[in-house]
Amino acid sequence: MKLLIRWSVLAAALALLIVLPWVAPATLVQFGISTLMLATLAQSWSIIGGYTGYASFGGSVFYGLGSYGTAIAMIEYHLPFGVGLILGALVAVIFAVLVGLPVLRLRGHYFAIATLALAQVVPAIVSNLEIAGRNIGLILPLLKNDALFYEAALGLLVATTISIWYISRSRFGFGLMAIRENEDAAAAMGINTTLYKTLAFAIAGFFSAMSGGIHAYWITFIEPGGEFDIGLNVKMIIMAVFGGPGSVLGPIAGAFLLSGISEILSFKISNVASLFFGFVIVIAVVLMPHGLADLWHRYKKLGLRYFSENIRENRV
Amino acid sequence: MVLLWQVLANGILLGGLYALMALGLALVWGVLNIVNLAHGAFIMLGAYVCYYLFALVHVDPFLALPAVMVVLFVLGYTLQRHVLNLIIRAPMFNTLLVTFGFEVVLTNLAQMIFSADFRTVNPGYAGANFNLLGATIPLARILAFTTGLSLTAGLWFFLLKARLGRAIRATAQNLIAARLYGVETRTIYAITFGLGAALAGAAGDLYGLVSQINPYIGGSLTAKSFAICIIGGLQNPLGVVVGGIFLGIVESLTALYLGPTYTDVASFGILVLVLVLRPTGLLGRTA
Repeated sequence: MKLLIRWSVLAAALALLIVLPWVAPATLVQFGISTLMLATLAQSWSIIGGYTGYASFGGSVFYGLGSYGTAIAMIEYHLPFGVGLILGALVAVIFAVLVGLPVLRLRGHYFAIATLALAQVVPAIVSNLEIAGRNIGLILPLLKNDALFYEAALGLLVATTISIWYISRSRFGFGLMAIRENEDAAAAMGINTTLYKTLAFAIAGFFSAMSGGIHAYWITFIEPGGEFDIGLNVKMIIMAVFGGPGSVLGPIAGAFLLSGISEILSFKISNVASLFFGFVIVIAVVLMPHGLADLWHRYKKLGLRYFSENIRENRV
Repeated sequence: MVLLWQVLANGILLGGLYALMALGLALVWGVLNIVNLAHGAFIMLGAYVCYYLFALVHVDPFLALPAVMVVLFVLGYTLQRHVLNLIIRAPMFNTLLVTFGFEVVLTNLAQMIFSADFRTVNPGYAGANFNLLGATIPLARILAFTTGLSLTAGLWFFLLKARLGRAIRATAQNLIAARLYGVETRTIYAITFGLGAALAGAAGDLYGLVSQINPYIGGSLTAKSFAICIIGGLQNPLGVVVGGIFLGIVESLTALYLGPTYTDVASFGILVLVLVLRPTGLLGRTA
């Protein structure tokens, strides 16, 4: 019975999201598109950062590669959007494998820093490439159909979430969680850690790049600073962590909630929204380090003691 | 040949400042095992404190150094004592995230309070320079270079000889043993983080002399400081000096031979290469 209620609530929420662009005002649809994309990014991050425990600060690289791959395929080679999207995602997957093999050997801080550096290096290289329009950027063919982009972004988010749901109960997913808990022990149990980690990195890259590709066609003008925006890493990580990394629906909840609040705040002054994100990370990590998903399950039992328990666990 | 010598001289002078930038990050990383992503924002704040002292009260940047360091020390001490100490035993990713949050908050507050305009600190001697074997050496840069190296040496002696410095090293080496010997860990953590912030502030003070400042310089300065720590290793302050000068030279040479747009590609490319090939740093011993 409980399961039935849960599934019907999910189905109702999905139905509501599907019909939204035909009933809501244009600004809300545009806000919806960027929120759905951020939710996809938070979900992708959760695969490598939440399930595998490798804190990547380089998600923006995949997003940018996907958006540039799509744009170049459409402009230079006159390929249809769908083909461009796949090609962009393919570029990101190849990049994830090539870079992942050496970089995923690093652990802890070192992996985080290497990906942070990649997030700075790749846009610098792209802004020197002739085919990518250097610093000036690229202009894609114009398609004014927000409803279509909305449904594409929603479809991608659903596909990402179903993949994560499937991964979370597969042998592969348990392998990733084993790596997160204790990588040496996982290797001793016979898990091919290099293969698993690289695969997780590539899957995260695939979905982030698809999201970037949709963004490129929607926004029609792309330039390195916008598509490889380091701030995207901030957002996807906060949303995933706030929602509950390593849970199937947590990152989506985090993305919807935080996007909504920051949109309302930035209505007045744009800086207030960024400031808000900063405070949210600090407070969330101190008081509820396991995210909304954990709060949801344990708050009922513990009440306000939930927060002090979290602090007591980690203080000096 | 003269051009090459000039570029090398620029690189070395820049490297002294880079070393000071990375020093605070290395100290906090080595002792607290926190990679402080707000380090660049501390540097930025130091630069602004120096700028306002100079613009409003006409205090020379070198005389303002102690004041800047005190301000940043208080900020760092408070953040560690009341926030970071609460999560110090959590997985390393959590401390990374919290300092990341500090960075976002400080950068945006700075933009709201100081505005996004570029600022420079221009004392009377800003344009003065002298000739060294054919290379033009700006006076402000050589002063910044020597100040940076002096502070590095000062920190080294402090950690080696002073009672407090030894308590800091003891905490880093063995937390439980240090506690048994009566070291008040919470205070030591706060002091260490405060020292790291004070060093960042000093670097920012000098940075304002040689470059323009705005609220957004923090991010790339944090990444550069990382690169220097990785290249030099965390074993002792000497590594940071070598790493700083190495990075300064690499950036100057890249700007000359490949063009200024490639400097970040070069420095961060080296960072990734060193990380992958020698994670303990070029000078470090393998574990």
